[in-house]
Amino acid sequence: MAKRVSLTLITLVLVAAFVFPSLPRVSAQDGDGWGEAPMLAEKVAAGELPPVEERLPDNPRVVDPVDSVGVYGGIWNRAWRGVNDFHAFGRIIYDPVLRWPRDPADPVQPGLAERWEWNEDGTELTLYFRAGLKWSDGVPFTVDDVLFWWEAIENDENITAAVHTEWQTLEELVKVDDSTLTLRFSQPNGLAEAVGLAFHGNQWPLGFERFGFYAPKHYLEQYHPAYNEEATYDLFQEKVFDYNVERPVMTAWKITQYDPGATLMIAERNPYYWAVDVEGKQLPYIDYVYFHLVEDVAGVNAMGIAGELDMQARSIDLAQYPVYIDNSESNDYHMLLWPQATASNATLFINQSYPDAKYRELFQNFDFRRALSLAIDRDAVNEIVFLGQGAARTETVVPASPYYQPELEALNAEYDTAAAEALLDELGLTRGSDGFRTFPDGSELLIVMESTGLLAGEMDTYELVTEWWNAIGVKTELVQETREIFWDRAGANEIMVATWATDRGLVPMVDPIYQFPFDERSWMGPAYGVWYKSGGELGEEPPAHLKAAMDLYDEYKITNDPERQVEIGKEIVKLSTEGLWAMGTVGLVPNPVVVKDNFMNVGEEHTADWIIMTPGTLDPAHFYFADGGE
Amino acid sequence: MLNYILRRVVMMIPMLLVISFISFVIIQLPPGDFLNTMQAVQGASGGGMTNEQAELLRKQYGLDEPMLVQYVKWMSGFPRGDFGYSFEWNSSVWDLIDERIGYTILLGFCSLLVMFVLAIPIGIYSATHQYSIGDTILSALAFLGLSIPGFLLALIWVYIGAIVLGLDVLGDQSKEFLNQPWSAAKAWDYFLHLWPPAIILGLASTAQLMRIMRNGMLESMTEQYITTARAKGLKERTVINRYAVRAAINPVISVMAMEVPKIISSSILIGVVMSIPTTGPTFLSALRSQDMYVAGTLLMVMSAMLLVANLIADLVLGWIDPRIVYT
Repeated sequence: MAKRVSLTLITLVLVAAFVFPSLPRVSAQDGDGWGEAPMLAEKVAAGELPPVEERLPDNPRVVDPVDSVGVYGGIWNRAWRGVNDFHAFGRIIYDPVLRWPRDPADPVQPGLAERWEWNEDGTELTLYFRAGLKWSDGVPFTVDDVLFWWEAIENDENITAAVHTEWQTLEELVKVDDSTLTLRFSQPNGLAEAVGLAFHGNQWPLGFERFGFYAPKHYLEQYHPAYNEEATYDLFQEKVFDYNVERPVMTAWKITQYDPGATLMIAERNPYYWAVDVEGKQLPYIDYVYFHLVEDVAGVNAMGIAGELDMQARSIDLAQYPVYIDNSESNDYHMLLWPQATASNATLFINQSYPDAKYRELFQNFDFRRALSLAIDRDAVNEIVFLGQGAARTETVVPASPYYQPELEALNAEYDTAAAEALLDELGLTRGSDGFRTFPDGSELLIVMESTGLLAGEMDTYELVTEWWNAIGVKTELVQETREIFWDRAGANEIMVATWATDRGLVPMVDPIYQFPFDERSWMGPAYGVWYKSGGELGEEPPAHLKAAMDLYDEYKITNDPERQVEIGKEIVKLSTEGLWAMGTVGLVPNPVVVKDNFMNVGEEHTADWIIMTPGTLDPAHFYFADGGE
Repeated sequence: MLNYILRRVVMMIPMLLVISFISFVIIQLPPGDFLNTMQAVQGASGGGMTNEQAELLRKQYGLDEPMLVQYVKWMSGFPRGDFGYSFEWNSSVWDLIDERIGYTILLGFCSLLVMFVLAIPIGIYSATHQYSIGDTILSALAFLGLSIPGFLLALIWVYIGAIVLGLDVLGDQSKEFLNQPWSAAKAWDYFLHLWPPAIILGLASTAQLMRIMRNGMLESMTEQYITTARAKGLKERTVINRYAVRAAINPVISVMAMEVPKIISSSILIGVVMSIPTTGPTFLSALRSQDMYVAGTLLMVMSAMLLVANLIADLVLGWIDPRIVYT
């Protein structure tokens, strides 16, 4: 029976997939053709809401379906792990000024802004927002909401410590009219589109990320000390926070029920949401999203296995995958395996700026790093630790990335202990009487690797690596510590070999911390990262091979031509991978996704990454229940 | 009597102040603060706050002040019912925990009830049928209960309930009743979700209480007044219930009061495993994220519960045992 239903569904989906894209797009923009959810139609009939054509902008965003055009209704059940886990909500309401494309190879796409233009030399960007956009309370969204963010948030030192990198050259914002804004920069800005408007282009603050590009002026100015003498910054922080149910939003759903510590958070459809499907029906399809507070990852997975999560990728445990499969038929769900844009799920950072001069010199030696890399049996790590689901590889961007270069995939990642030992011998690191190698001057060589072991598989991998490094005579100790101790020590340049899972392997240039020493989070050389970030004021001056990447990124930042940007990005990736600046082990470990059989439009082909707000680029607003959630 | 209660309650205040100071110090002992932790957590899930931004927030939250200043600020709010601010939840601590405290007390009470209802009859049965098959089986079960930690039982129940039986076992109610007005069906569902954790919480202590009851009974049944009662020709049932049980139950009550901290601490893990809205999960996540005012307040609340439970146990003892008099 269930099989017949799913067969019918598949057939319907296929038919839909063939028929709908061929429909003329013009019909969607026909003024008479707008559709709306029954729950909103009722409110319109009761006089509580204006009709749909007045709620939509003149030119709404049209969402191309992943599979099919949907029907309205239903409650989307998800689990979230508390207020820290903001992205359980934040990633399904991805609505920035410009959007990441669904296919990472494409350029950025229109979002709140329907088009944008650069002047000749790339110093002036004009954004054309969709005319007639409205906040979730019905008040028009205008350029003033961007100006408010710029003046009252981004440039208020009580709220934002420093203007974000991509806007540091922004000199002037000129309001042309209510929906047109010109940004003037002191030099060409190559980060504005991807970083400023796609990655950071959401409503401020996006949970604890504290970045954004606009904020509801009409609501917030009453709470901001610069606009209202009685207001305080504490009050402003509370009111601007994403969980505040009074705060107007521009997203498909809006949190309407939230109580600190309560076990259920509810988000309801935004009646003024500004996107439609190809038939002109206003999105989202799904009426409500319920977030069930489940502190424990095991609890989230118990819900998933019991078929209580309608669609979720977050906190779904790969180790439970066999149990998920066993129960999928009886509990009416299926599983997807999205590759994660994780270059390596357990990465080693040999600190090239380590304070001790002897170690620093050794760590900067490519042959030494290569020897350590050759001693790692990556296939064994994959089989033992990651159930064979990952890919043994070096640290480089993932195949879906525009910067990917296949020839780098396995560079310096072969398993060859003899070659490793030969390299070490050549460096003069000879074995002492205890079997461990010493510095050429005979002093002790001891490598301390530090880890939080936060993520699945990390600790097991590092234990194996420690064993293998000891086996080639490099004495290594592994220390596990809590994340706050690790984070501080790593950033303060106190760790010899820091470890972490390296995500952002898809579009790393928006925050290239794992490519080269970019700031204190680049643990292949945090002191050099600080130097780069502070423009040479703090930290230490890096050696030439690292400076080369920094120079390239300086050029990237002022390059407007997307093709040239990809070229530069590729060069940075090449330098970084060839130089083994970070050492990958096993990457691309998939993120399991649980999807109920009646939950539609979740793409099967998708590379998951936080930078592109997975599953945000799949347009959760057009996910729907085949039966309308009945 | 009233005097006695009043005195005990007044005594609690300095006690709680001392506890509040000690718990504050202990919570502050680990290195780092809420913002370091936040940076690391965000780093792990992809994002990341710059050190400059963290420093700014640290100043705003007053986390850069000396510990004593922070403590005094926190403590001076108590009389006004202000227990500080939760950085993590962006709300006042009391708003965050008030409902959870209610549920915790309800759950604790139910698990005490479970202990009482199970331990005493089984203890009596085991004592009056010493070394019978029933006694042996029940004793074996008791030791099993004693040795299996509560969170493991909770995990087993979640597995059996959710995966084998297909029940909605997590949380305090089923999904279909969420956000619905109260009705008979919802109340019944709420009740059904309350008992599994209550039983799991009660079970570990039940075993111990059962043994104490059994020993007490065995001891009192050899007393001369029991022989006298029997000699008077009283029915065996009366001899047991009126004479032996009343003497044996005293240590059970005292021990039960001592079980309260155990209930509180094991309710943390069970709360996390079963996702029930007790203070436990909030306490754990507050400790993990170094949301110190939440953690400190919850420690205080737990200590207060313990003190009150002790007082109640003393009063109950006085009520059932005429030999104990409070002045």
